[in-house]
Amino acid sequence: MDLEKLRKTAAEIVSRDDVKYLIGWRPGSFGYRVSPCFVQDAAGAEELIFSPLCASNLATYLTLVEKLPVPRGEEPDRRKVALLVKGCDSRAVVQLLVEKGIEREQVILVGLPCRGVVDLNLLQQKYPEGLEKGELSWQEGGFQLIRNGETATIPREEILAEKCRLCRYPNPVLSDVTIGDPVEPWETEADRGVEELEQKSVEERWDYWEEQFSKCIRCYSCRNACPLCYCDDCILDRLNPIWINRAVNFSENTAFHLARAFHLGGRCAECGECERACPMNIPLGKLNRKLAKEVREKYGYEAGVDPEAKPFLASYNPNDPEEFIL
Amino acid sequence: MSESFEPNIVAFLCNWCSYAGADLAGTSRVQYPANINVIRVMCSGRVNPLFVMNALQQGADGVLVSGCHPGDCHYMEGNFYARRRLGMLKDLMEFVGIDPRRFHMSWVSASEGHKWKEVVQKTVDDAREAGPFQGFRRRQIDW
Repeated sequence: MDLEKLRKTAAEIVSRDDVKYLIGWRPGSFGYRVSPCFVQDAAGAEELIFSPLCASNLATYLTLVEKLPVPRGEEPDRRKVALLVKGCDSRAVVQLLVEKGIEREQVILVGLPCRGVVDLNLLQQKYPEGLEKGELSWQEGGFQLIRNGETATIPREEILAEKCRLCRYPNPVLSDVTIGDPVEPWETEADRGVEELEQKSVEERWDYWEEQFSKCIRCYSCRNACPLCYCDDCILDRLNPIWINRAVNFSENTAFHLARAFHLGGRCAECGECERACPMNIPLGKLNRKLAKEVREKYGYEAGVDPEAKPFLASYNPNDPEEFIL
Repeated sequence: MSESFEPNIVAFLCNWCSYAGADLAGTSRVQYPANINVIRVMCSGRVNPLFVMNALQQGADGVLVSGCHPGDCHYMEGNFYARRRLGMLKDLMEFVGIDPRRFHMSWVSASEGHKWKEVVQKTVDDAREAGPFQGFRRRQIDW
């Protein structure tokens, strides 16, 4: 990964008058942590990094930003926001463009071909995290960990995040500048998590999800971390009508998770943020991937690939499958 | 228990076709099971998946959504949207382990009183086979 080039490009971008800030990653304060950062000037661009630890999807911040009312007589800030995007992040941005959640003129995308990020939990199991900082980088066939002056090589399969094992778009789908050479898409494994569940009986699946949903504490991290959950008027925040009660019990949890998964049907960019953000380790990705798979197989639609496409649920094909209809 | 179990079905009918079809079944004296609670909506495209979920939470054992045949929608395309949306919901419900027999969708036009009878019969039979739905029924707490 050419960090010099990344920092130089970022510095050039943030120096432009029509750019508000650039959103990227920088080293966190301890251990393997990486934190998002908002680069305002060329000096700030010096701390940007891109490593296998940069798992978070920065596209979330495009829609998460608070939109304050503009004082009378003032013009709204129309400057652009620059964003570092991996393959999956760029799909989320494309899906936002498809839904007109953001405008193309508002964003500058700095594409970073990605060879797969790590699952922090798996890395911690193998190399427990201390206060001292650790650096991770890609190398042939795996990752290289540098910590306390020691270097360790970790095979790729051991700590690769699940979403990356299934990734079909390692290169950004859409970008204005691309840094580094495109990555050869790797052979994806079968989605074992979803397939195993599909083969079970209805009752067994219910038992599985009952256990999972019962764990939920309804912190709504999954919603907040998701780049595509950005409704100003979310059904979860609404008081009239209350679709899903705030009580934390199995009934409401199930309704919440079904609604959340459904609202991402045909939209999910499979960036895995919901699952990564979940403090109770509920496999939310399975729900999303199952719906994405159904949409792909039955309707031939894939979210976040073509900026010119129409949103899946806001379009139709007269020949859509209807074998389930009586 | 299963002998005497009468399922509680919530049916969302579109105003222009299925509701008129059910009406025709009534005026033609076609006998069909009385387990159906009809909710009239202006179009099957109005049916939000949350309606289905809420019905199941609040005590329904099965849900039926019925609209005009494709191409016959009063609003030109509402039932096409409904088909995509609810087809996806059915896949999702099946995946989390809600019996697929609890949710049905059908096209019934205003002249199909007899088809309406068959659809209701099938929905009720399926829900009866699947048994009372305890799954994720909302717990009523009396404060």
